[in-house]
Amino acid sequence: MTAVITDQAPPILKGPSDKEKKYDRQLRLWAASGQQALEDAHILLLNSGAGTVGVETLKNLVLPGIGKFTIADNATVKHADLGVNFFLDEDCLGKPRSECCVKLLQELNPDVKGDWFPREKGESLESLFGHGHNFTLIMYSLPIEAESLALVQKYAEKNQVPLLSIHSAGFYSYFRIHLPGTFPIVDTHPESTATTDLRLLTPWPELSKFAADVTADIENQSAHEHGHIPYVALLLHYLGKWKDIHGSLPSTYKEKTAFRDTVSAGARRDNPEGGEENFDEATAAVLKTISAPSLASSVKEVFDYKPSEVEASSSFWVITDAIKQFYGKHNALPLPGSVPDMKAQSTIYVQLQNIYKAKARRDISEVLEIVRAHPSGKDVEVAEIETFSKNAAFIKLIRGIDSTPPSIQTIASQEFENDKTAELTMMPLSLLPIYLSLNATSHLPSASSSDILATVGKDVLGASDNQRLVEAAEEVARAKGGELHNISALTGGMVAQEVIKIITKQYIPIDNTCVFDGIISRAQVLRI
Amino acid sequence: MVPTMRRDHFNSQSFGSPLNTMVKEARILMVGAGGIGCELLKNLVLTGFGEIHIVDLDTIDLSNLNRQFLFRHEHIKKSKALVAKEAAHAFNPRVKLEAHHANIKDPQFNVRWFKGFTMVFNALDNLEARRHVNKMCLAAEVPLIESGTTGFNGQVQVIKKGVTACYDCAPKETPKSFPVCTIRSTPSQPIHCIVWGKSYLLSEVFGTSEDESVEMDHSEDSENAKEIEKLRQESQALKNIKESMGTPSFPQLLFDKVYHDDVVRLRSMEEMWKTRRPPEALSYASIIEQAAETEISKEKVLKDGQRVWNLHENVVVFKDSLERLSRRFEEMKSSKSNGNSAEPTITFDKDDEDTLDFVTASANLRSLVFGIETKSRFDIKQMAGNIIPAIATTNAIVAGLCVLESFKVLRGEVSATKEVFLSPFAPERLLSSDRYRAPNPDCPVCSVAQVQLLVDMSRATLNDLVEDFLRLELGYGEEIVVNHGDSLLYDVEETDNLTKKLGELGIKSDSFLTVIDEDDENPKGPRVNLVLSVQESETLGDKPIKGVDLPASAVTENDAPASPILRKKKPSQPSNGTYGTVAATTTNGNLTVSNGTKRLFSEVEEGSSPKRVKLATNGDGSNDNAIVIDDGAIVIDD
Repeated sequence: MTAVITDQAPPILKGPSDKEKKYDRQLRLWAASGQQALEDAHILLLNSGAGTVGVETLKNLVLPGIGKFTIADNATVKHADLGVNFFLDEDCLGKPRSECCVKLLQELNPDVKGDWFPREKGESLESLFGHGHNFTLIMYSLPIEAESLALVQKYAEKNQVPLLSIHSAGFYSYFRIHLPGTFPIVDTHPESTATTDLRLLTPWPELSKFAADVTADIENQSAHEHGHIPYVALLLHYLGKWKDIHGSLPSTYKEKTAFRDTVSAGARRDNPEGGEENFDEATAAVLKTISAPSLASSVKEVFDYKPSEVEASSSFWVITDAIKQFYGKHNALPLPGSVPDMKAQSTIYVQLQNIYKAKARRDISEVLEIVRAHPSGKDVEVAEIETFSKNAAFIKLIRGIDSTPPSIQTIASQEFENDKTAELTMMPLSLLPIYLSLNATSHLPSASSSDILATVGKDVLGASDNQRLVEAAEEVARAKGGELHNISALTGGMVAQEVIKIITKQYIPIDNTCVFDGIISRAQVLRI
Repeated sequence: MVPTMRRDHFNSQSFGSPLNTMVKEARILMVGAGGIGCELLKNLVLTGFGEIHIVDLDTIDLSNLNRQFLFRHEHIKKSKALVAKEAAHAFNPRVKLEAHHANIKDPQFNVRWFKGFTMVFNALDNLEARRHVNKMCLAAEVPLIESGTTGFNGQVQVIKKGVTACYDCAPKETPKSFPVCTIRSTPSQPIHCIVWGKSYLLSEVFGTSEDESVEMDHSEDSENAKEIEKLRQESQALKNIKESMGTPSFPQLLFDKVYHDDVVRLRSMEEMWKTRRPPEALSYASIIEQAAETEISKEKVLKDGQRVWNLHENVVVFKDSLERLSRRFEEMKSSKSNGNSAEPTITFDKDDEDTLDFVTASANLRSLVFGIETKSRFDIKQMAGNIIPAIATTNAIVAGLCVLESFKVLRGEVSATKEVFLSPFAPERLLSSDRYRAPNPDCPVCSVAQVQLLVDMSRATLNDLVEDFLRLELGYGEEIVVNHGDSLLYDVEETDNLTKKLGELGIKSDSFLTVIDEDDENPKGPRVNLVLSVQESETLGDKPIKGVDLPASAVTENDAPASPILRKKKPSQPSNGTYGTVAATTTNGNLTVSNGTKRLFSEVEEGSSPKRVKLATNGDGSNDNAIVIDDGAIVIDD
């Protein structure tokens, strides 16, 4: 292990409360669990080329408090570096770029450890990987020497480490995420409006009783009571009536709109407002809430996936297995248990909340039981099972890059075909030409546009006849491998955002390549 | 292989010579040196912009350091503008940088000063300052690049008078307010108790009383006068207890007053609890006795802000924070006593631990009284302090987009600018952009005529303005209204001011006057509003008021005299989208989500008071006092 820099570091923050204060604004996004994951992470940047975009990415990871980072870079600092890289100054001229950047980056956050490579001149990259480091994630910037790339790919493959490539030149950039195997996410942070799950078509006894109680003798209730029946109870009441008449619950769109009219007709209109707010809420909720529960395709994908033997014993797959069994038995996922705000008397509303909460707790304990019965389920933490159960409808599995990915030719044909319609409808065109042109310079700092087109032409038929490809190639050639600080800073923001998603295992990372065109301020995500 | 490749080698190579020169010659104003500001300044400096002025009135706080990377731990409490300037200067000594540790609304930053810039960047965190810069840039006809972030969301927009929509073309959501009786008598959600702790209890004990506070609107109305009067008596009794501040019995007196006596009185109003759970009074003596053990581990409790405290812990924190605040208050009083009669005040600040502890404990105790869910200090900090999540990555992306739009502005291609949005929850896109929006023809801020007015203050009367300038020179009729800010200077019935000099009416250089044409009789409709920006001048000829650069009479009108001030156009369709309320998520500092209050409003309608506690923004531009209601934080259990 190599030593960690300590010179010139500002005072280390004291106590947990100072740290909590410093990270207050981000804890509200990814909570203490996400922060812990960041602080446990060690990131390697293989810096090459003009060398700014990787350092800008690191800046955005050092600030929120990544545990440790290492920069591997063979370059020495030149004048042109100073104009584009914020983390170098005049004193750095002629010195190793890795060491200088690490020192200045570290100033941003004394809680973060920084290291650089090579420590000795001429040390080979192999010795870095031989040091027994446990890198959480590796990034490399392009263009890069083919041998170094092969080395890092081998390491990432062997150790199942996420690998990101970043290329920024002139007004263009792209980055690509290579996740090892499958990447499951529990805490996807769905939008709060999407998470309402009221189970109105399959009420359980306590809920049915509650609805019957508050709608008892509904015709003769006082104006106050009638106007404060929570809409959940109203809908259950009218669903019961509907079933009595029609023999089944409303299922088609036509039936639902008819049902909506029935609910609406129940409102008293002989009051100064000419209606009742709770009935308005009930009417508005019909189409959203009166539908048979269906499994989101992303959840189905998780259920259908056959984890490998190694994967299967991880807590994610153990809980997934339990939830799957739960679903098989009840034809529903565990209840999340939250109730949206609605017009109601406070006591009644609290009662309703408690009914949903109690049911959610019962569901969780059932899942817990199944988990405990699993051969690897003894040590799974209860908190993880709770979180999983509440988020069950939103879990997501990101697949790694396919072992047999579609060829570039296939993707290109598809994208250029789409462009034909896009052109007619004034829709934005594919940014694939930018990716292809940058990709053609993966190992060459500068190339002529005809060189670029020739390289692209090896994978894509008729490359040099494609006007947009020619333009992109010319723009890339013009940049001669030079980075614009602003484009690299912006790209560094986007890359760091995805790195945080991957490390915290929260939110859904892109799949798998993002291309940015700084001339028109547009980004496109492609699966390549 | 070139040994002395210039510093701006990559820039000139990619920009091409014309743009590189424009960048070098530009004079830039950057308002705000916070999250976006730090990123933006770095990008501007490394892009080679020639001259950059930075204005920010804020000082550096520990919670800034997770993203505002020009600042270090040793800079805490120093001026953001000055530290940012020094940090950026070190990285490119060739850029001319000027920093102002000042409020952008200060009179020194007048229209003329704004006119000196090629372009203005807004990197602000609050609505008020954004609106102000928007208005100034419109008046100075300087292009503005407006940006904001909230968590993973962000947005960039170019504003150019007459071409694009301005910041105020789409109405913004106003901060949430609560009925007084919900806060004082019938709370049903944690937020009600937090507002009570922060805006009632804390300010009654350590601040200006609510009767004088702008935050509470107490206009009378007969229906609830009785209850309001009761509440007033309660406040009076509280004032008496305040006298015992500093004595050992103070915490008990205050506690028993607000959690026992007031609660017992409330409970006696049986009508109120017919449909609600009645409140349960708490008694200090018995609880503090039981809490003896908790008191010993007080320090541990205070450190644990993520966990929800129990009754004993809340009482211990209540007592402890109240004593801390009382000591501070006494110290402030004694150090101020010579000559200054004004009472010192302690107001809520989310980063002031004493006030945060007090509000947390007192809100939670009230929640326990009313059977409402209690919250952790961490959560209460967010709810009471209007905390907008903020991270480095989003700011980096948004600042980069700002600079890209600035290139288009420099090239004179405002019509090529885009409104760009970050769409982090659409992983298939990450960014989305829209064509810029055209000005809203009904916008009260940008769809007005603007005229700069030179005024000889020693002579000019309101009559000179109304009769000579507006009626004779600009052709206005009888039916006009002249406003100065919110105050009416002149209309057909309000003629007392006509003989007064403008100076006597509070008008000075950089004042803005608004002229509203109410001539609805004219078949062509009334004129658009006219905004006059006043500049003092002593070298005018015989007339004491003169308009500068009056727009040429664009339309020859039959109803002479002709006027350069156009009549209101029939509403036309904007080029892109509608002018609905802008989504709360995209404006850092203005986040107000108005969900989660239905129940209480409707309950209040039942014979209670319709009064609202108004939680307005702070005058100093930070809107720390606005209450954010995140419905997830309130009604969704966890």
